[in-house]
Amino acid sequence: MRYMKEVLDSRELLANLTLREIRGQYKRTIFGQLWSLVNPLATMLVYTIVFAFILRVTPPPGNPSGLNIFAVWLLCGLLPWAFFANVVQTGMGSIIANAGLVQKVYFSRIVLPLSTVGSIGYNWLFEMGVLVLVLAICGSFVWPWIPLVIFVMVLLAIFASGLALMLSVANVRFRDTQYLVSIVMQIWMYLTPIIYPISLVEDQSRAHGGLFGTSITLMDIYRLNPLERFVAVFRQLLYDNTWPNPQDLLFCAVWAFAAIVVGVWVFRKSEKGLAEAL
Amino acid sequence: MSDIAVSVDHVSKRFRLYHERNQSLKSAIMRGRRSVHEDFWALKDVSFEVPTGSTFGLIGSNGSGKSTLLKCLAKIYFPQKGSITYNGKIAALLEVGSGFHPELSGRENVFLNGSILGMSKREITRKFDEIVDFSGVEQFIDQPVKNYSSGMYVRLGFAIAINVDPDVLVVDEVLSVGDAEFQEKCSQKFIDFKRAGKTVILVSHAMTAVQEMCDHAAWLRHGELVTVGEAEPTIAAYLDSLNRGETSAA
Repeated sequence: MRYMKEVLDSRELLANLTLREIRGQYKRTIFGQLWSLVNPLATMLVYTIVFAFILRVTPPPGNPSGLNIFAVWLLCGLLPWAFFANVVQTGMGSIIANAGLVQKVYFSRIVLPLSTVGSIGYNWLFEMGVLVLVLAICGSFVWPWIPLVIFVMVLLAIFASGLALMLSVANVRFRDTQYLVSIVMQIWMYLTPIIYPISLVEDQSRAHGGLFGTSITLMDIYRLNPLERFVAVFRQLLYDNTWPNPQDLLFCAVWAFAAIVVGVWVFRKSEKGLAEAL
Repeated sequence: MSDIAVSVDHVSKRFRLYHERNQSLKSAIMRGRRSVHEDFWALKDVSFEVPTGSTFGLIGSNGSGKSTLLKCLAKIYFPQKGSITYNGKIAALLEVGSGFHPELSGRENVFLNGSILGMSKREITRKFDEIVDFSGVEQFIDQPVKNYSSGMYVRLGFAIAINVDPDVLVVDEVLSVGDAEFQEKCSQKFIDFKRAGKTVILVSHAMTAVQEMCDHAAWLRHGELVTVGEAEPTIAAYLDSLNRGETSAA
């Protein structure tokens, strides 16, 4: 509880550090904030050409929205993933990147990883705003779902923060963490139905049946991935325009809660030794 | 307000000197949880009290543990044994311009650096003019700090730090920033600070500065406290030991 108060007291510092990242990021560029859109758009273009045009992946059309555009379907999953991956990787390095500060000034260290969540979240919010406009232009009636989308965005941000907190202290002790995590993130992305529909995994799972003589199917294991649930919920809301599956939503909330509790606990335990270990 | 501003109670600080450190995951796993290390006690059972309103100097040769103690006081290191208790708000000035972002303007950096040092936004807004005035960079306050000369950079950093207005100020050897005129301003600020009944703890190698400013001092040698008390006899004893060549690292 006292820790909570300390963190709450540093909210101004958190806001200032977040602003530092946001303001500093696109300084001296001509296009400024627009650059934050370029990355996801370029990725979208590549994936759309490779997966929709060459490999002919066809996701099911939005139900009940009736949308059937691969690029938009892709973005509904890709933008949350990109945010998540970015937070985990940048947040992980945040303590090391600010080593000079940690060794010279006392402040609540937790603001460092959290400020990266804030600044990346700001870009994500901008991207999602553009996505909503695109969806609306394509004929999706997305407006009533926006509050729920924001709620799920917050859940994902909490989940990502939890992981970033754990990894940031691990990275101070073992610099291997950052290299390992970048590989894990790559694998993780392909283990999440972002560029292909989950129905393809379902087909394979059905074909194989229970694994090793048990009733556990490939699909059961596949769905343990928290990001699978998040992506599913985002697509249900944005692309299908329907209520999210309550079980999926509950899963997201549980994962987010578990990640942040463990993350804060781990961080708090190692916080005091950080200045020495750097 | 009690008479004691900071009380250092049996503080010991250990560092581990790793011979084969498990810095990579591989070596950690291969060797299990063990890593080969040797303990080095940078501070050994140091106790003293800093009276409120005093200017307290920490003196000693290189490697005597001054900086470690300072970092413990600044809550950057945490001692393995013992404790440090404070009366009132403490601010540490170990570096000027911590967290300055080179691309941001002086104005933005004042707010950033101020909040890192623990000031609230309202406080900074109130003191903003005073800070800018003290630093003497009014003309360039809206320019990115990367274009500042190194003198302007430290002056701005110092001006923010000195305006934090703590009850206890912990200062490393940062007094020697800027030109003679700016140094004069700094000493004046310290005198004002003292007059307001605030406590200053400072570490310095410049004995003349310590002699001039401090009324109390503590002398550390190899992590142990030699003497603590009135500044003059303590400094005299320290200088005396140097002259007699008692300390190896002069």
